[in-house]
Parts: sequence; structure tokens; C-alpha cells
Amino acid sequence: MIKPRLLLVDDEIPFTANLSKLLSRRGYDVSVVNDGKSALRIIEEQKFDVVILDQKMPGMDGITTLREIKKKRPHMEVIILTGYGSGDSALDGLQLGAYDYTMKPIQLSDLEEKIGQAFQRKLLQEKE
Amino acid sequence: MIAPPKESSIPRLASPDGSMFGRAAKGANVRRPVFHTRSYAKLLRRFILVSVTCSVLPLLLVGWASYLYYSQFSLSRMADYFQKTVEYNRKIVESFLQERTADVKLVAYTNSLDYLKDPSNLKEVFHLLNLEGSHFTDLGVIGKAGKYLSYVGPYDLMDKDYSETFWFKEVKEKGVYISDVFMGYRKVPHVIIAVLGSKGEGAYVLRATIYSEFLTSLVETAKLGQTGEVFLVNREGIYQTGPRFKGKIMDQASLPMNSFTGESGILITDPIEPQNSFSPERGIPITDLIKYGLMQSRSQQVLAYSWLKHPDWLLVVKQDFSEVFGDINHVNTAILVLLHASILAILIVSVFTAKYMIKVIKKRDQEAEGLNRQLMQASKLASIGELAAGVAHEINNPLAVILTENQVIRDLTEDEQNLDANFRDELVQSLSQIDTQVERCSHITQNLLRFSRRISVASQFIDLNVSLKHVVGLLEKRASSYGVQISLDFQEKLPKVSAFPFELEQVFVNLINNAIDAHDGKPYGSINIATRFDSSRNGLVTTVADTGSGIPDSDLERIFDPFFTTKPVGKGTGLGLSISYSIIRQMGGDISVQSELGKGTEFTVFLPCPAAAQSEILEGPRKDDLNDKA
Repeated sequence: MIKPRLLLVDDEIPFTANLSKLLSRRGYDVSVVNDGKSALRIIEEQKFDVVILDQKMPGMDGITTLREIKKKRPHMEVIILTGYGSGDSALDGLQLGAYDYTMKPIQLSDLEEKIGQAFQRKLLQEKE
Repeated sequence: MIAPPKESSIPRLASPDGSMFGRAAKGANVRRPVFHTRSYAKLLRRFILVSVTCSVLPLLLVGWASYLYYSQFSLSRMADYFQKTVEYNRKIVESFLQERTADVKLVAYTNSLDYLKDPSNLKEVFHLLNLEGSHFTDLGVIGKAGKYLSYVGPYDLMDKDYSETFWFKEVKEKGVYISDVFMGYRKVPHVIIAVLGSKGEGAYVLRATIYSEFLTSLVETAKLGQTGEVFLVNREGIYQTGPRFKGKIMDQASLPMNSFTGESGILITDPIEPQNSFSPERGIPITDLIKYGLMQSRSQQVLAYSWLKHPDWLLVVKQDFSEVFGDINHVNTAILVLLHASILAILIVSVFTAKYMIKVIKKRDQEAEGLNRQLMQASKLASIGELAAGVAHEINNPLAVILTENQVIRDLTEDEQNLDANFRDELVQSLSQIDTQVERCSHITQNLLRFSRRISVASQFIDLNVSLKHVVGLLEKRASSYGVQISLDFQEKLPKVSAFPFELEQVFVNLINNAIDAHDGKPYGSINIATRFDSSRNGLVTTVADTGSGIPDSDLERIFDPFFTTKPVGKGTGLGLSISYSIIRQMGGDISVQSELGKGTEFTVFLPCPAAAQSEILEGPRKDDLNDKA
């Protein structure tokens, strides 16, 4: 089974370090950036299937980043993973086309499941 | 413990100072009722005092003034009356004596001694004098030597010698003399009128006698009531006429003779202490009037007097004060009774009015306080919500890191082949324990966030009964494991409410769960869930009543505060009720609680209906609908 190419966008460095280590070990191709602008730059250069995006970041926040990503790569699936969940931002995120909006902390297995589902949707959309 | 005030069903949701912490809130709330009771009692006293003062004082003034006025008025009326009576009687006596004197003078001046010396002539004259009423008892002609020259009358006085008597000397000197009443030789009280006759050759004295009975009968006609009398005294206070009551003619009358100054006057005297007399004629100072207060003047007498011009006698009209003022005293008594009755009525009305006003104020205060509390609670929850959200967010990030670190260690453990089996087991156990604890933390933060979150999902029209049945279905098993039965008492065909379905269910889950937990330690119990439409507030009322242990008053104030819990550590977060509260508030409703320790607790949830829903229940299902169903 093909593993999706992942981009982790989060300013919490220990978290991205650990998560990329864990996901790489499970066969994912993982890239890490720590702010929204870097994320926008890297998606120009490389191809990703699923973006795991933090909401509250210095500089450009998650929702803005999401909007920009969707402008550039409409088929790229984004899972918002945040410690700062709120009904309003969740609704915003989902309306902007995020695949899911989920709260930290999350068990790795749960995250993997969501990544899998997002990837499946992307594949389906690309076929269409 | 200080009992809380019996108030409306509004629970003490928050401390009035809006402090975030239950302890401070409790302290403030416990003191409040004591303060209130005292201040209301004080207010009540003040109300009564003011209204009584404002109405009783003028009443007393008016009463006192009218009492004084009537007293003064009646005194002057009385003075006037007595003045007239005494003048009238004086004139009668005076004119009687004047007429008699004139009679005697006429005889003396028109007849010579020679003529009168003849007894038959004198008899003729005596007869003529007594033609108009037999006033004269006898008539005599006395010569210079003081001996009778001639006499007509019933006594044998021919040998009497008057030359040395006072009256004889007086008449010779002044020409006319009217004596005081005296006994004389005949031992009968009488008055003599003597005139010096000088017609013709020799001077003589014509002497006529009038029995004092005549005088008595003159004044006796002026009887006054039960206690009044009219009499004459001479300058020494000797009765010249027979008094009606005590004493007899020629006795010493008990009169304050020194007080009879002027020609005439009126005195109010105390027969026992005559020096306390005063005269209303000259105006009575108010102080005297009070001193001789009409009510206390029973033993006093009213004395009107007038001096006769000739002889030097005093005519006295006397009557008991109490009789004179009997009527006016009745009026005054009536005024006094009326005054007291009015004051009593004012007192009663004042007390009732004040109590009613206090009741109204108290009710207003309580309503205001209730609203205030709800407002405080809402703002308190909002600020706590912000704080809680911030804390939850800050904790979620490290938790996420911990969880990934945990996974990293787990991965490493799996990779390491040479590990001791026991060590690996223990490590895995520890790691899973970390997972569990992180999840527990995560659960708390999620609750915190839910508590603070603003619900932006669109609300739906919900059938409350259906929603409740769903919740009861979820919790029935748990309830029965506690030996608690859930009974439903739903009103049929409730209008729908606009609500957030999941949140609303969460509220009822919380309430019913709490109700089940309240039976902890009891072998059995019941929970009654009832719904009804409240037309006055246009909304649905749901009550969840349990037969559990109840909530102590001290806790009742804090149960909606975040983090307040009485459950053992780890069992409750203390957020359930505050989340429920904020959910219901967001839907425009409210939650209140009533509890009795040992008997149970009842939560009441009110949810407003949209305006359209009301007409639905009021009108009932339309005919078309019924037909469709058929």
C-alpha cells in the first residue's frame, strides 16, 4: 500500500520532531516546517498528499495558511491538529475545505487513521 | 449554621460580589440575609414612626387646640350667663328695696307727725302701703326720744326705747336708713326701713319692717339647676336671705369676702382653698386653664357677685362647677375618646401599611437580587470560560508532546530485542499508564473548552420529550444498578423548542447522572422527570426531582460554580453543572435548584419557546392535520 507524503506544519518543535520520527518509522514520507510561510513555500517545491496543520502559529495562523494552501493546491488534504480548538475556528476550517479538525493530544493510531482517510479521499478526488 | 432566607426558587447561583471562588461567595452570601432582616426591621420601625408622627402629631395638636378653645369658649359663655343672672337678681332686690323705701319716704314726707300720731290714721296709711302685696310687717312712728308715738303691727313694742340704737342714730343723721337683717326684740329676722319725717312742727322717724322671708322669696325664684343658689350677704358675709343648702339666715357664709372687688364679678373658687380663686372675666391664662383643667374641677364652684348700691349687700349666684360644665365636659370627653380611637386606628393602619410596604420592597429586592445573581453568574462564567480555555489550550500542546514522546519510547522498546521480559512488561505498563493519564488530562481540557465554547452550530427545533426519552434510555441501566427507578411525567403535545440537540442532551445527562449519584449509599430511590408548558413564560419547564441525599445550603450556592464538586477525587470534574448552566443560558433559558437535605433535590430547567411555537399549543392541531392522520 502506498503511504501518503506528509507535511507537518507546527511551531511546537518537540512535537514535530517526535511526530515526524514516529510517522517516518511507520513508512510515511514526512517533511516538517515550523510556520505557515515556510509551508506555502515548500508546497511550491515539493508534492504532498496530506498536510497536518497547527492552528495557532506565530506569523501566519493555521486558518490563513489553509486558505492559501487550498488556493494553490485545491486537492491537497489538510488535517487541522490543534490545542486551541474552538467551534468557530473548526467551522471556518471545515468550510475552507479542511478534511478534519481535531484536537491535541491525539493517539498516534487515531492520527494515522485520519491520515489514511484523508489520503483515500484525495485519491478519489484525483481519479475524478 | 445560619439558615438561609426563605426566598423564591431562584438558586443562589453566584455570590453577589461576583468573585470567582466559591469560598468567598459563600461567606458573602451567608452574611447577607442577617443584614437584610435587620435593615428591614429598621425600615419598618422608621416607616411606622414617620407615619404615626405625621398623622398623630397634627391630630394631637388639633385635639388639644379644640379642647382649649372649647374650654375658653365655654368659660366665657358661662361668665356671661352668670353675669346676667347676678345683675338681674341684684336689680330685683335693689328695686324692691328702693320701692319700699320710696313708699316709706312718701308717707313720711307727705304726713305730719300730728296726723300719724293718731293710731287710726297710721293704720289707714299701713293699709294703703300693703295694698300691693303685704310687704310690710308693721309700721311705727318714733319720737325724738326714741320711743314709739304710734305703732301698727302684731307686736307689743310701745315701751321699747331705740334712742341708743345704731340705726336710730344713723337715720337721724342721714335721713334714710335700711338695716341689715337682724333679730331685734321680736326674735324674727327682719329688715327695717327708717325715714326721718320732718313735715309740720316736729321731727319723727317713720319705721317700717320687712320680714326677710320676702327677700328670700325674691331670690329663691332664680333657682339654678341642681346645685345653683342665689342669696344675699352683708359686708361681713352674713346671710341676709336663707341659703338653699347649707346654713340658714344670719349665719356666716363661707365666702372669700376679700375677693369680691369691684361692683360685680365672677370667681371660680375652691370652697376648701378659697385663695385659689380666679376670675374668668379678666381672661384666664392658658396655664391657669390647664391648672384648673375642667375635668379636674369637680369640687370647684362658680361664684357670681354684685354689690347692691344701698344697703351695702352682696348678691351672690353660686353653682357647682361640674354642673355648669357638665355638657362641655361631655363634649370634651367625647373629643378625648374620639382622639384616642383615632390614634389607635392610625397606629393599626400605620403598622399594616408599613408592613405591606416592607413586603413589597422585600419582594422587589429579592427579584432584583435574583436577577443580579444570574447576571453575576453569567459574567463570572464568561470570565472563567476565557481563563479555562486559555489554560486548556496551553495544556493541550504539552500533552500532545508527552503523548508523542510516549509513543517514541514505545517504538524504541519494540525495537530493542535484548530487553528483559519483566522490564519490558513494566515499561509497557508504565507507558500505557502515561497514555491513560494524558487522556484523563485531555478529557478535562476538553470539558473546559466545551464549558467555555460559544456554540455556533445552528440550533434546531427539538421535541423535548423525545430528547429526554433518548437520554433516559442511555442512563436507565446505570440508574437500575443503583436501585433507582426513573419515572416520566410528560405533558403531551409540547411545542418544540429551539435548541442545540447534543448540548441539550448533555445537560439532561448531567442532571440525571447527578440525580443517580445522589442516591449513593441509599438502597433504592426514584427520579421523576416531568415536562410541562408554562404559558405565562411561554416556554417549557422540565423538572428532574430525585429522592437522594439532598444538597446542604452551604453547597447550594456553589453548585453551578466551575470545579465545585462533592464527588470523590477523580470521579467528577466539577464542570458538569456549570457547563449545563452555560448551555441553558446560551439557549435563553435558566436552571434553578431546590433541595432539602435528606429528602432530595429538584432541578428545574426552563427553555423558552419561539413565538410561533406558542400558537401551536394554544390552537392545538389543526383539523386538516387530524384528517391527515385519520
